Amino acid sequence: MAQKMTWQEMKEAFPDEWLLVTDYESDKYGNVTIGVVERHSQDKSEVFRLPALKKSCAFVYTGESTFPGGWRAHAQLHDI
Amino acid sequence: MHNYTIFDPDQKYIILPIFVSDKNGEEHLLKAILDTGAPTTEFSDEALEFLGFLDRTKHDVELKRGLQTQKYGRITISHMDICSHHIDNLEVFVSHFEKSWGIDALIGLDFFRKFRTTIDYKKGAVITEIFQSEAP
Repeated sequence: MAQKMTWQEMKEAFPDEWLLVTDYESDKYGNVTIGVVERHSQDKSEVFRLPALKKSCAFVYTGESTFPGGWRAHAQLHDI
Repeated sequence: MHNYTIFDPDQKYIILPIFVSDKNGEEHLLKAILDTGAPTTEFSDEALEFLGFLDRTKHDVELKRGLQTQKYGRITISHMDICSHHIDNLEVFVSHFEKSWGIDALIGLDFFRKFRTTIDYKKGAVITEIFQSEAP
């Protein structure tokens, strides 16, 4: 049976990966602080693959988000 | 009644936890960005497939240059919690998200239509209140 890991341990063990975490606890921001990593992969679809687990799961990414949203990003993409 | 949802003001975006019930009633934690530039809430296709709301994810979706997401369908999620508000039967866009975005949903302006929303960066809180006309 997989053991519980802290968020810091998860980031160090699985850098820039998606994780499916069960038996998790979270902080006041809703960030996972501790839990059991049931699946991990750089390929997001591997983590979300079916069948779904019949228990509550948290989906988290250990890398830095590259989300490019907003008008500034749109302008940058088009050299405005 | 006001709900306070704390976020980390040092992050580039307002990232909030949302809880979505799957087809079997299990509740799952996903991360979402509060996006005032998105008219409608969007969910990643992979998350929707896992939750049982989408039969099959399209694997040939490519992001077009200049677009942040690539929407390709609509779907109704029966139950979710955003900012501690229960929302039933919300129609959302099915969207393709890049894996490096690290999120699975954009909370769009349809959320703001349901709740009076204040973003307080000094307190690091999103303060939401149901409009009186929609209060139970």
